[in-house]
Amino acid sequence: MPDKSSSLLSAGRRRQVRRTALVLGAIAVVFYVGFIAMMIYRGSR
Amino acid sequence: MAYDSHVATSPEHDAHDHRPHGWRRWVFATNHKDIGTMYLVFAGVSFFIGGTMAMLIRLELFHPGMQFFDPLFFNSMTTMHALEMIFGAVMPAWTGLANWMIPMQVGAPDMALPRLNNFSFWILPFAFILLLSSLFVPGGGPAGGWTMYPPLMLQGGASFPMTIFAIHMMGISSILGAINVVVTIMNLRAPGMTLLRMPLFVWTWLITAYLLIAVMPVLAGAVTMLLTDHFFGTTFFTAAGGGDPVMYQHIFWFFGHPEVYILILPAFGIVSEIIPTFSRKPLFGYDAMVYATASIAFLSFIVWAHHMFTVGMPLAGQLFFMLSTMLIAIPTGVKVFNWTATMYKGSLSFEPPMLFALSFLFLFTIGGLSGLMLAIVPADYQYQDTYFVVAHFHYVLVPGAVFAIMGGIYYWLPKWTGNMYDLRLATWHFWLSTIFVNVLFFPQHFLGLAGMPRRVPDYAVQFTDWNMVSSLGGFAFGLSQFLFPYIIWKCVRGGVRIGNRAWEGAHGLEWELPSPPPFHSWTDPPSEALIQQAAEH
Repeated sequence: MPDKSSSLLSAGRRRQVRRTALVLGAIAVVFYVGFIAMMIYRGSR
Repeated sequence: MAYDSHVATSPEHDAHDHRPHGWRRWVFATNHKDIGTMYLVFAGVSFFIGGTMAMLIRLELFHPGMQFFDPLFFNSMTTMHALEMIFGAVMPAWTGLANWMIPMQVGAPDMALPRLNNFSFWILPFAFILLLSSLFVPGGGPAGGWTMYPPLMLQGGASFPMTIFAIHMMGISSILGAINVVVTIMNLRAPGMTLLRMPLFVWTWLITAYLLIAVMPVLAGAVTMLLTDHFFGTTFFTAAGGGDPVMYQHIFWFFGHPEVYILILPAFGIVSEIIPTFSRKPLFGYDAMVYATASIAFLSFIVWAHHMFTVGMPLAGQLFFMLSTMLIAIPTGVKVFNWTATMYKGSLSFEPPMLFALSFLFLFTIGGLSGLMLAIVPADYQYQDTYFVVAHFHYVLVPGAVFAIMGGIYYWLPKWTGNMYDLRLATWHFWLSTIFVNVLFFPQHFLGLAGMPRRVPDYAVQFTDWNMVSSLGGFAFGLSQFLFPYIIWKCVRGGVRIGNRAWEGAHGLEWELPSPPPFHSWTDPPSEALIQQAAEH
């Protein structure tokens, strides 16, 4: 069963963790999908 | 922004301290130590699979002429050996060490995103089962080299899409792991653990994680374009349709060169932990080490075309990439100087981690110097695609990255298990590895300078002697590696109990925790005084 290690942190700290993770995740998704999409778009013109 | 409060009091903490048992402990693992262990075991298995492939390569090259395999299988072995070692062994080993050590070193209870941590690990076995199973499909395994250059790669059989999909999975796993590392370091540091108090291993991993997030998508883009060229009629890299195969090389190496630093930067971090401990002195020039690491990471983005000087590029381009590559020698030289200066007038002792760190220092420098030779454009025209290149990157990656991983495991294994391992056997492991790694790879410099091309299953007879020496070194190196899992297994099973601090000169927060450390590492943040004391070393 998954343990709940994140609850060892305060609510504020958890929010901060979530925010940083979302920002980095968004950057990674934009890079990952964006790079592929841009290449396919440029290649199909 | 260190983490400021734990809501856990002792009874509440106990409630979180339940350990799942049996297979559930591993499949549903969210604990950083369990996941770190899984990464390390996975890396070990990959190391032996990739190593077996290397042995087959050396077996075929023991003698000129075709001995055991057909050329396609030989090419599959060189391709799979590289993919297995880079993505299956070295990168997961670093992630495993990061999982184990970063929370303990920054004063955190666990990684910031434990479920994501589980997910990023469990993608890997599926990726590698897919990759390895591609050896058994019609047309054989991928045989275009780990760089997967078109048009050769596009001529692959059913293994081609399997390889591409496996690479996507590995890339996603790496990105998720990197996000977790950055979030942990940026948010879960204990109060008082300022950035410039962080241990060098944490620093190097922070920079590595940013590199991973930046360049893994580029690899994904490159291999997706290969996929659409093969299956959907695009011609990104097909000259007949207006595409350009050289463009693939640019895109690949824009990923590939930072990837080299992804493999080596955490090694710098580990060596920066080990050398001060066994010199009983603080690290010389801590700030310079941090800035040098950041400089190397930055430079890694502007040197990619040194891998492709011979494709034909303008003179100005060759000069730019040659000079920018040479610039990397400056921050790397700072590091080598600082490690040496740390040992100067230190009270040195030579336990296995220090032996591996010293071997790293000498042999990685040899790899660095042959890298400088390769950076010189006119010289590279001679070395390109010869065994000199093979010798160069194996010196960087084996006595470089792999020795640092081994040194790191020998350094922290007593902390992880609470037992000291068999130091005598580990010293044997060190000497056998160091002697035979040189017997294996040093003659490859001579072969390359004499003109033996890489990635060939057969060669001209004048290359026979050094190939035999290299193969014998390879077999001996491979055999001596079986000592490593045996030593670890023996240590896990028992041994002389150690206290919190396994090594007399050890410093850092991890050594303040009990050995083995508790399920959640720092449920109460360490005091600022403790952090300062750890950072002063």
